[in-house]
Amino acid sequence: MKSLIHFIIPLAILATMASCRKELPQLNDPQNYVSANFNEVFDAFWTGMNNNYVFWDIDTVNWDGVYGTYKPLFAQLNVNDSNDVRKAYTYFKQMTAGLVDSHYTLTFADTWLADSAAVNPAFLRKRGSPGFHAPIDIRYFYYTLPANYLNAGQRGFTNTADGKQYVAVSGTINQNILYFFFSDFQLKTLFNTDTANGFKTVEQYFFKNLASRTDLKGIIIDVRGNKGGELEDLDFLLGKMITRPLFFGYTRSKMGNGRLDYSPWAPAYVKPQTDSKAITIPIVVLADAWSVSMAEITTMAVKALPNGHFVGERTWGANGPLTGNVFFNGGQFTTGWLTQVYTSSLMFKYKDGNIYEGKGFPPDLTVPYDSTSLNAGRDPQLEAAVSLIH
Amino acid sequence: MQKNVLLFAPMLFFFQSALAQFEVGVTGGYVNNYLHTSAGYRAFTQYHQRSGFMAGLVLQYHFNNWLALQAEPSYIQKNYEQRRDHFFDGIYQINSNGYLQLPLMAHFSFGGEKLSGFVNTGGYAARWMTARVKGVMANVFDNAPDLPPNQQASGSFQYNLLYQYDQKYAFDSRRDRRMEFGLVAGGGVEYLLQECLRLFVEARYYYGLSDQQKNYMIDQVPRYNDTYVIQAGCLLNLGCLFGGYAE
Repeated sequence: MKSLIHFIIPLAILATMASCRKELPQLNDPQNYVSANFNEVFDAFWTGMNNNYVFWDIDTVNWDGVYGTYKPLFAQLNVNDSNDVRKAYTYFKQMTAGLVDSHYTLTFADTWLADSAAVNPAFLRKRGSPGFHAPIDIRYFYYTLPANYLNAGQRGFTNTADGKQYVAVSGTINQNILYFFFSDFQLKTLFNTDTANGFKTVEQYFFKNLASRTDLKGIIIDVRGNKGGELEDLDFLLGKMITRPLFFGYTRSKMGNGRLDYSPWAPAYVKPQTDSKAITIPIVVLADAWSVSMAEITTMAVKALPNGHFVGERTWGANGPLTGNVFFNGGQFTTGWLTQVYTSSLMFKYKDGNIYEGKGFPPDLTVPYDSTSLNAGRDPQLEAAVSLIH
Repeated sequence: MQKNVLLFAPMLFFFQSALAQFEVGVTGGYVNNYLHTSAGYRAFTQYHQRSGFMAGLVLQYHFNNWLALQAEPSYIQKNYEQRRDHFFDGIYQINSNGYLQLPLMAHFSFGGEKLSGFVNTGGYAARWMTARVKGVMANVFDNAPDLPPNQQASGSFQYNLLYQYDQKYAFDSRRDRRMEFGLVAGGGVEYLLQECLRLFVEARYYYGLSDQQKNYMIDQVPRYNDTYVIQAGCLLNLGCLFGGYAE
């Protein structure tokens, strides 16, 4: 009996201590919150950011601090009062103002905010910074540049059913420099469409000259003002200029719900295409402060080439690739009140070990935007690229 | 000289009798570790248990014939796996974690002299020493060949090819809590093979009480190790070995 008591006492202590574990919190999918009040609206957004945002490793925003400050403020708002809805919009702007993700964009489902601009912290920061300038007008690339610099070539545009317009220009400069401008990365999709389109015609011109001409002295890829687009275009474009895989960086995604739960870094390569040839002449990429996302990734990949150069301005700073949330368990999400929280699905690190998210990728040769020259029909950035080749 | 012998004789006697209460041994066995956590609303994602091994020393100090104190400095693996399924089938990560662990237990014996049963209960402290991750993920910058127009994708790797990795895990001092504390309970049988030597087999359960992560975020999902061990070993009575005396 005595020995039985000796068993029971430690087992009782063990059983008591076994309850010392913290409970597993229930995490709900942000899109499943009911937006009947601002408590729910806030929790949906905060939880989505807490678990899906991929930049907590480098971001300096105190997300727990945001919770402590804004949860009580949202609790005081009425979702059915238009003034409170406007106030909530302001809070969202404040909460996200310092986020490093330069893709980051909030769009709102509430009808009272139908006229309100999307919240884009990177744009708001840049707009207030010295040296900020508007993007170069697309008409400059379509009319002025071909007239003043191209010997011959093609230009064209395509309007798609979703209301977007894609513009491309290609030609030669000084007879032996092959130039290619395109407004967005939809190269492969538009090239492979069954129907003829203006964008495809330009692509065909560029790729035909790239493949057949042996007298070229250099290539200029112009992604100034390019808003980005499809990841597969990287192989589709640069893969035609290499015969061996080109290593240029790494990506990593979220693995778990913790802010710092990451996958390992996976190497990022440009893969040669079946009809590719090794281009050894200089390849110069022209990019500016309005070169975003795939335009920046392409710029980085060109710079990783032994014959690659980058002329222009520091890029926008949105390097993280985007896919659907489900593919890498992180990134963009929706809530009942937010049409979309547009944010990167993965983090990108350049081959030099630096993450340029929020900073932009710096050029080898800096040539600032010059509105006076552009208005006069001169393009100092393009001229610098040409002088680098000749 | 004679005086010295008289002085040391009681000490020697005391040492020998204390020695008789000590048993030392070795143990090793199979480990199955389960990570007590939640994948939350992560789509098609689960955590699974993984096997491993343990090896260690056994130190027992007997107070009487039914109660002893047992310490067991050991190396133990606490592995687990995260796996995805359905469209994402083939994506996984195995975390292999090595701990130096010190369980401290009360050892209760019962039964016959030759064959007896025992129960161990107590606590443990462990230091997360090594970690390795091995797995497969889709590489977003490694496009799979285009599908023919009349075909549809059946898995993630038809969009992006896989990236396989097997590398040392880099501890993050902001997140990883490398000390672990918990409870332990086990039971088994032991057999007195010879005067000095006992063999035992035991099933044991380690119940982690400390989260593997520091408290670094609101709504943090804790991670606790639940570790099941089947182990065997032997114990030598030191008094018997050095003093020719077994209690």
